[in-house]
Amino acid sequence: MILGLALAVFGVAVPFIGSPYMMGVVFQVAMWIALAQSWSMLSATTGYLSLGHAVFYGIGAYVCVLLTGTLPFELALLAAAGSAGLFAALVGMPVLRVRGPYFVILTYGLSELVRHVVMRIESALGSFGRMIFDVPSTEVLLWWMVGLAVLATLGAYAIRHSRFGAGLAAIREDEVAAETVGVPVTRLKLLAFIASAIIPGAVGGLALLRTSYFEPAQAFDPVISFTIVTMALVGGTETVRGPILGAVGFALLSELLWSSLPQLYMIVLGLTLIGFILFVPKGLSGLLGRIGRAA
Amino acid sequence: MAFLDIKGVSKRFGGLMALNDVSLQVEKGEIFGLMGANGAGKTTLFSVIAGHVAPSAGEVVFDGTRLTGLSPSRICRLGLCRTFQIVRPFAGLTVAENLRVAALYGSGRKLSASEIAAVVDEALQAVDLADRRHLDAAQLTLSGQKRLEIARALATGAELIMLDEVMAGLNPTEVSAMLATLERLRGEHGLTFVIVEHVIGALMTLSDRILVLDHGERIAFGTPEEIGNHKRVAEVYFG
Repeated sequence: MILGLALAVFGVAVPFIGSPYMMGVVFQVAMWIALAQSWSMLSATTGYLSLGHAVFYGIGAYVCVLLTGTLPFELALLAAAGSAGLFAALVGMPVLRVRGPYFVILTYGLSELVRHVVMRIESALGSFGRMIFDVPSTEVLLWWMVGLAVLATLGAYAIRHSRFGAGLAAIREDEVAAETVGVPVTRLKLLAFIASAIIPGAVGGLALLRTSYFEPAQAFDPVISFTIVTMALVGGTETVRGPILGAVGFALLSELLWSSLPQLYMIVLGLTLIGFILFVPKGLSGLLGRIGRAA
Repeated sequence: MAFLDIKGVSKRFGGLMALNDVSLQVEKGEIFGLMGANGAGKTTLFSVIAGHVAPSAGEVVFDGTRLTGLSPSRICRLGLCRTFQIVRPFAGLTVAENLRVAALYGSGRKLSASEIAAVVDEALQAVDLADRRHLDAAQLTLSGQKRLEIARALATGAELIMLDEVMAGLNPTEVSAMLATLERLRGEHGLTFVIVEHVIGALMTLSDRILVLDHGERIAFGTPEEIGNHKRVAEVYFG
């Protein structure tokens, strides 16, 4: 709680005290918190591990690039979030019929499918990337991103402590038993899927406004999905602070690596994930909890 | 009209007739026993009633509502809940959390936090699990997990509970404790039970009426005494 509050205050204040580089880092950290926290709304609660969250980010970016210029950027972001949620609602029913490794592969495949479709559409239209002009200032974008991180964190917290969250936990533990004691399994899963898609849509839109350049292969980059999962797992999926710890730790680590050893970035990402899964299954959050109890 | 009315239910799995034109009526407040050798169709009948398996023919009516075609969660919210022969606890949740989910969703209406707590406490008391409420369900013994199955069904607020071999795997002391629990539940809560049991002694003691299935067909029906003297039942069970 205190951790989140401190981060949020720091994020809002950083334009007044920090360098442009600092603002860039905070923007990234807030972005990953928002994404990992949204992912946790579905995957940490129900155990349905999505390896395709880049699709929502990408859809958000695409919708935003198509609408900025026509609409004020706030409305474009709203539309980006709405479109990602709508897409989740449309594909959710069939996708959520499978679970375990099948769900992981299906979400990954779906994300790749959409990426290729958008790439085809764009190349058929003769554009190999779209520039946008007249974007809001870096400060405004940063505040929006910090706002999304806060919103995603509050949302994840609210879900975990609600009747909805109790139903999702039952689904994670035993779907058949959950259905038998009255939990409307299909509906709850779909709602969780939609909830986990909305903020990533807005995040994709904001990230686009920051780079002011849209290129489908980048907007739907599967590495986004991998990074989200890695951060959430490294942070720990059992608590709301887990994704925050994972995102902060990882974003800082990657800043360090990009500046010193860019070639090793993906390798270190992979090794960290393996190490955590094998030795720290409850993530940084669980580790902190253990240290807290030992002290 | 009967509380639970099963009308000519058949279920075919490929070439196997798991249930063949089974009809039965369960009255409110009774304990109805289902007997039969392995593969007789008892669990399939449970699955059809609870909505896990769609019947090939026939229909199930509960308290005036046609259940056939409804989802298991909807059927539970209408007041009919089953337990599983192979227990399915929410293993990573505590005993109390297991019951809380059932209380939150089982009744089909929104209960207040204090009502939920009361339902959970009552279910814990009913099956003597109150002292283990904070344990993870995975840490319970088999007997404890069987009782958790019953408690979870109770916490849904169901009026009719179908128990699938809750005695199997229990020792004689545990069986008599379970018998006492079920008798008490019927007395105190006015619940209706349909029970499947391999422990024939337990079934004979508990049930008001018993239906015997063999290869998906009903071969005998009556009071425990009548079933005990039934010629075909003796043949099926003892050769």
